[in-house]
Amino acid sequence: MNFEDLQKAWQSHAAGAKVLINADVLLKEVRRNQRHFRARIFWRDVREVGLCGLMAWVFLHWAMRDRAWPLYLMVFACIAVGAFMVVDRLIQRKKQPAANDAIKACIEGSLLQVNHQIWLLRNVFWWYLLPLAMGLAIVTGVSVWHSRHVALVVAGGCVYMLLVVLLYWGIYRLNQWAVRKSLEPRQQELEALLASLK
Amino acid sequence: MTAQQQEAIFRRWLDTHLGLMLKVVRGCAKAPQDQEDLFQDVLLHIWSSIPAFRGEAKETTWIYRVAFNTALAWGRGERRRREGHEMFLKLEGPPQVQPSHVDSLAELEIVNRLYAAIRQLPKVDASLALMHLDGLSYQEMAEVLGISENYIGVKLNRIRKQLEEQLKGVTDEL
Repeated sequence: MNFEDLQKAWQSHAAGAKVLINADVLLKEVRRNQRHFRARIFWRDVREVGLCGLMAWVFLHWAMRDRAWPLYLMVFACIAVGAFMVVDRLIQRKKQPAANDAIKACIEGSLLQVNHQIWLLRNVFWWYLLPLAMGLAIVTGVSVWHSRHVALVVAGGCVYMLLVVLLYWGIYRLNQWAVRKSLEPRQQELEALLASLK
Repeated sequence: MTAQQQEAIFRRWLDTHLGLMLKVVRGCAKAPQDQEDLFQDVLLHIWSSIPAFRGEAKETTWIYRVAFNTALAWGRGERRRREGHEMFLKLEGPPQVQPSHVDSLAELEIVNRLYAAIRQLPKVDASLALMHLDGLSYQEMAEVLGISENYIGVKLNRIRKQLEEQLKGVTDEL
């Protein structure tokens, strides 16, 4: 039996399965799924950017109340991190491949997005942790400088900075774990798919 | 595009191209539960893609693109069980064939073995095999995949040989 015979057998059997579809429930489910997806994206953005906004507001309030200029640096750092997230998300949304793109273009688009995600998480220290850490370090340093009870403030500041370092280390490790666990395998799979089209 | 227009197109595509969607699903997933899951994803993506459909591409090309892109993404560990969701479809096994219809029975066995062989192929080759078996032209396949017709020809030669080789024992038995 040659390929033409196989093709003939294939085409004569249609899909080879019987399907019962409840079109009304299907449409309901499709719409529900779309709403769910949009809501998930919206709340993710609110959570990430909203946290930066909230922190900026807290530091701004604190800075104005105490007339402490170093705290304005924290406000700036929080706004800068939040703005970076928003701009990055907007740029990436424009580059997102559509489901109806040609397969090669879709794979290339997905690969670009995965590569960007990996870049973001690998460099989380520079764009997320460092600006906030520098702001915190300056606030702590200035507090020590102006304090009458230097020893007490230094001790408290050291404990505080140690906790911050531990927290940052945890955040950094978590991001690197996410890269290894989910993004790199996906990147390799997409590269393999793309290689099979070249 | 209004919601009613979108719904009308969706219902028409379901009527006209359901077989195409099912072939992609069966060619990419083996277990019935996986097939149902993938089929739901394919339908969801097709629904979402309709507002972007301007009629510049053929409907079949469009649906193949969406279905294959969904299947390729779905294979990357993004399988979701829709627990708590309403099931809107039920896939049943291949239609019962009367034992007296020897030719149909033999063809059914060949088709089942073809699906099994296609699932063994690399994903891109599997998508090409499905479209080739469905009789798409090189140009249509090139539009779906986004690669040149020459390259399609080169790949198909290899895929045809692979499928013939894998199905050789079966066709001899039948």
